[in-house]
Amino acid sequence: MASTGTAIELQAVTKTFGSLTAVDRLDLTIARGALYGFIGPNGAGKTTAIRMIMSILLPDSGRLRVLGLPSALEAKDRIGYLPEERGLYRKMKVAPYLMFIAKLKGVAERGLKERVHSAIERIGLKGVEGKRCEELSKGMSQKIQILAAIVHEPDLLILDEPFSGLDPVSTRLLKDLILAEHRRGATVLFSTHVMPQAEEICEHVVMIHRGHKVLDDPVRAILRPHDSRALTFEPLDGHVDLGALNALPEVAGCIGANGHYEIALRDGVNATAAMRSVLGVVPASRIELKRRSLEDVFVSIAGTEGGSSGAATSGKAAA
Amino acid sequence: MNKVWQIARREFVATVFTKGFLIGLLIVPLIGVVLVTLGPRLFGDRERTVEGEIAVIDSTGVVLPHVRSVISARRSPMAVTELLERARAGDASDMVLNALGAATRLTLVERPAGADVEQEKLWINEPMPAAPHLALIVVHANAVEPTPGSSNLGSYDLYVPSRLDNRVEIAVQGVMREAIIDARADVRDLNRTELSLIMQVPRVRSTTVGADGERNTVFGLNIIIPAAFMGLLIMGVMFAGQGMLTTTVEEKSNRVIEVLLSAVSPMQLMGGKLLGHMGISLLAMSLYFAFGLVALTAFSLFGLLDVKLIFYLLIFYFIAFFTIGSLMMAIGSAANEMREAQQLLMPLMLAMMLPWILWWPIVQNPSSTLAVVVSFVPPINSFGMLLRIASAEPPPAWQVWLSIGFGVAGAFGALWVAAKIFRIGILMFGKAPDMKTLAAWVRAA
Repeated sequence: MASTGTAIELQAVTKTFGSLTAVDRLDLTIARGALYGFIGPNGAGKTTAIRMIMSILLPDSGRLRVLGLPSALEAKDRIGYLPEERGLYRKMKVAPYLMFIAKLKGVAERGLKERVHSAIERIGLKGVEGKRCEELSKGMSQKIQILAAIVHEPDLLILDEPFSGLDPVSTRLLKDLILAEHRRGATVLFSTHVMPQAEEICEHVVMIHRGHKVLDDPVRAILRPHDSRALTFEPLDGHVDLGALNALPEVAGCIGANGHYEIALRDGVNATAAMRSVLGVVPASRIELKRRSLEDVFVSIAGTEGGSSGAATSGKAAA
Repeated sequence: MNKVWQIARREFVATVFTKGFLIGLLIVPLIGVVLVTLGPRLFGDRERTVEGEIAVIDSTGVVLPHVRSVISARRSPMAVTELLERARAGDASDMVLNALGAATRLTLVERPAGADVEQEKLWINEPMPAAPHLALIVVHANAVEPTPGSSNLGSYDLYVPSRLDNRVEIAVQGVMREAIIDARADVRDLNRTELSLIMQVPRVRSTTVGADGERNTVFGLNIIIPAAFMGLLIMGVMFAGQGMLTTTVEEKSNRVIEVLLSAVSPMQLMGGKLLGHMGISLLAMSLYFAFGLVALTAFSLFGLLDVKLIFYLLIFYFIAFFTIGSLMMAIGSAANEMREAQQLLMPLMLAMMLPWILWWPIVQNPSSTLAVVVSFVPPINSFGMLLRIASAEPPPAWQVWLSIGFGVAGAFGALWVAAKIFRIGILMFGKAPDMKTLAAWVRAA
């Protein structure tokens, strides 16, 4: 296993808690500069895997390298980490708190104050430097927590459920911060339940389920396959004559969802011909083969017992 | 090491520069000053009056008049002063002196010499009396003169109601004592005033002769100094231990712990917290020690302080701090909230109470088996040995160093256990662990 050019390497890493195997022989290689999404249902083992990567927990077996080093302990100053359960020192003031975390991450005292102040300004919180953390709103606290993870400009940024509990504005800000860190050259790995965000931000997605890796593919590869037995269309004037649609010989059924409609085609029907038939009944602003979303993949794996097979599957196989 | 230092610095600054710390630091000496200055005024019972009736059956026939005159004299402040002087000369305890000093307004109820004692006892609990019935006294027939064929003198039987204040009983006994002695002196034709003068030998103040000169002996110093040093040691250790416990529980409950662990290892975090709180408690101890030095200097007693004691205080402080402090921090790491921590802390607190319970017997007899055993068993050996070193009968040097050796071994053991619990505990949330779980963590980590 070569370590050059890789930010994280896990080889058959296993962690058990009593009789529960939280992570089972997990293999994972993340290249430097990549942007990875780590997805999986609750209790899948994501946080345990992340904690092992961070050397907060030690694996029972397997090999692990972070930034080319055998343990994150040796590279902690180069890693930014936002845990799922995160907090602040309530009585500390914002700027001293960030300076304290930065110093723990090895940032030199010189210029640190300016760096912290400009980072606070960058996230739109200018003026809170002297406030105690307990005086901040929930949204402000979350922004400061995120800032604490990136204030030292890490080479590797690991975020555990960063979008949980964020309002749309903060979500947008965090997304921008993640992308900015990625553009700066940092390797980013974040776990999430919010599939649209993972789909939008990530280059690559890893999914674990019941401690096993069940998906490890580029997002583009996962989303590329289209379902030739289903169409998605948006009516031109918003009105659809469902009776006329269902009466078409190619159509097995039609359902509306979020302003668009999904049409299930009968077996053996040619999709192109079906499109023409549909357009003949209902003028549409958009009609295409139904594209598989990350959420579909997630549900298809997490929603079936087959997801626990233990073998990493390709996006195609998992579909 | 820089990270450990950063953690320690934050702990120190976050604790010391708070109003709570200053108040906590000043509250103990403040309570001391209040107790010393206002205590006697607040708790003294000089204003107390012993008031009520006492019934006397005098089988001798000669004591009653003296009881009457003593009761009458007790109403005179001059007589009370004289009585107190006499009692002091006889080494009476503070409680007796207080009781004697209380104003007495007793009324004598004279009963016939042949009265039925059992019937008279009913008088004690008579309902709704005009004045409280304090006591029934039956003077023995031989209380003043011995019965023929015997040289022993008798006394009297005293019957009192339930829940009688001890001070009342002492006052009544004082009256009877005076009256019987007066009666005895009277029948022997002795001058009572002269007898009192003969019996008076005022207590003297000794002079301590040391290599550095002479000074007035400070009574009780052999007890005060060991107690002060043990108090300082306990205060220092508990101050730090409590701080580490509280901050660890807080860091865990407000979920900042994992952020810290992304920057430092659990051992660095634990080391930093230990170092920071050691600094805090050393600062507090230094301030208290300085108060003590000022007090000693003010009373010209500075020369009493043995530098060796300070050296041992520091050594035993470090041992006790690392032993007890690390265990308290481990408990803090295992608990989700303070209530859980208090439950887990119970065995350690019981151990910490032992020095308080045992300090008096140890100081009274520093070479007793109990004192020796306590001074060798961690985690309380530091307190036991320091008490013995500061006592009037210090242990031999080999015992001191053996205790230090045991203490250091105990401290390493405690640190080892604490580190294992800390490493697992800080990431454990949910169900409160019990002792069995902690033991499992020690084995598993």
